[in-house]
Amino acid sequence: MSTVLERRTVRIPPALVTALVFLLLWQVFTMWGPLAGTSVPTATTTVVTFVRLLGDSATYSALGQTLLMAVVGFVIAVVLAIPVGILVGLSRFAFLSSKFTMDFFKVIPPIVIIPVTILVFGPTIRMGIFLVAFAIVFALAIQTAYGVRDADVVLLETMRCYRLGIVKQIRYARLPSAAPFIAVGIRISASAALVVAVVAGLIGGAPGLGRAILLSQAGGLSDVTFALVLLLGLLGIVVSRTVTWIQNRTIFWANR
Amino acid sequence: MSTEISIEHVSMEFRTPEEVKHVLDDVSYSVTPGHFVSIVGPSGVGKTTLLRILTGLTQPTSGHVAVDGVPVKGSPAGLAVVLQDYTRSLMPWLTVEKNISLPLLNEKLSKAEIKERIGASLEEVGLSGVERSYPWQLSGGMQQRVSIARALAVRPRLLIMDEPFASVDAQTRFDLEDLVLKVKDDFGITTLMVTHDIDEAVYLSDEIVVLYGKPAKVRDVVPVDVGASRSQIETRNSQRFADLRTHVYAMVRGLE
Repeated sequence: MSTVLERRTVRIPPALVTALVFLLLWQVFTMWGPLAGTSVPTATTTVVTFVRLLGDSATYSALGQTLLMAVVGFVIAVVLAIPVGILVGLSRFAFLSSKFTMDFFKVIPPIVIIPVTILVFGPTIRMGIFLVAFAIVFALAIQTAYGVRDADVVLLETMRCYRLGIVKQIRYARLPSAAPFIAVGIRISASAALVVAVVAGLIGGAPGLGRAILLSQAGGLSDVTFALVLLLGLLGIVVSRTVTWIQNRTIFWANR
Repeated sequence: MSTEISIEHVSMEFRTPEEVKHVLDDVSYSVTPGHFVSIVGPSGVGKTTLLRILTGLTQPTSGHVAVDGVPVKGSPAGLAVVLQDYTRSLMPWLTVEKNISLPLLNEKLSKAEIKERIGASLEEVGLSGVERSYPWQLSGGMQQRVSIARALAVRPRLLIMDEPFASVDAQTRFDLEDLVLKVKDDFGITTLMVTHDIDEAVYLSDEIVVLYGKPAKVRDVVPVDVGASRSQIETRNSQRFADLRTHVYAMVRGLE
């Protein structure tokens, strides 16, 4: 029960407090502190540039290219990984047999294969899409397979006792059991997709925000570099919040 | 409606690389149609193994089991099960009504018929009104009632229960026992139950099968002649009840 007094107090979002303190420290460090006079722009300069970039159509086309690579790569990975993960997870042999190879590809950092992808695709959107898909498809497939294998034996045996066949077992027991596992995989993959799409531009020269950051840095426009990083950070938060929001509504039984 | 179960010379061995574990040795027994039979015995004697053979989940090493003269291969038609661990045998992602209707997917029923079955079985177990709830929103006793309702909804000819009341508190246990007696009076389904609770076995059963030994044999078959109508207070206080429970207890403990 909140009292009238308590209700009157102004509620400041807790997240805002730390963010403002951070901005303040940034400002202090770059104006009077050890970073003064370096190429690190002040918080206010960065924010001003950020606002200016929001009014620039080039920002949106770069943003669009990055999101295109992230989203298409992500969708391709999901469409491949989930059915493969389900099939592999259904068979103990297939799971044990494929795990080593999938683990092998999973642990290869996407940056390492950038030289090869440039040879094949050139510094293009297609290269970015491939890189994003490659970066997440194996982890997501393994995660899905784990989830399918995690289905409760008691539940599956109950279904067998009631003469419910393999298709119904997949539909009503295996897939829902795997859903929280797949959800974790998707949440991590969505953030990774964005990161890799940027890296594809930053290191591989693919179009989008990554290349914009690279070019601004080469041109000595450090305020633009920082403003773009700020934009990416905010974008990352939007992506992860959105995924979590969707999950809380679809896999309601897992976080009761 | 009632079904005859015959168990003929059933032996069961589990082979591991280290040893051969001989669990059941030449077990033979026939369940009279419509009877309620409890299987008791020391922990680990092989009671659940015998039930698993009857549900077709496990094949015996030798011997035969048949339901109404049909050899058991896979779950026999008309079987319903209630297991100890209701949290693992009900699906958390389905509402109570969806859980109950799941085994009905095998039958070609209209939506109205399914709804009618769900309503009738929930009413039988005294749980009307929770159709739209999820199992985890209900108490343990209520969840086990849902399991029983799910079993009744398939209009079973044979009901198999593996320690159905072992995970609920004492008061709920008495309530559920009386519910099972009511179901028995209403439908006369041939029922086999494994229990550790000898009082419960005497209270509910028409006949008690005592398994004993390693490997287990049928030590004795005890007809329970405490009358057809039973009550928690009168039946449990009768001399005959006390004699039977002492007799069965002594056998389970290897004292007789």
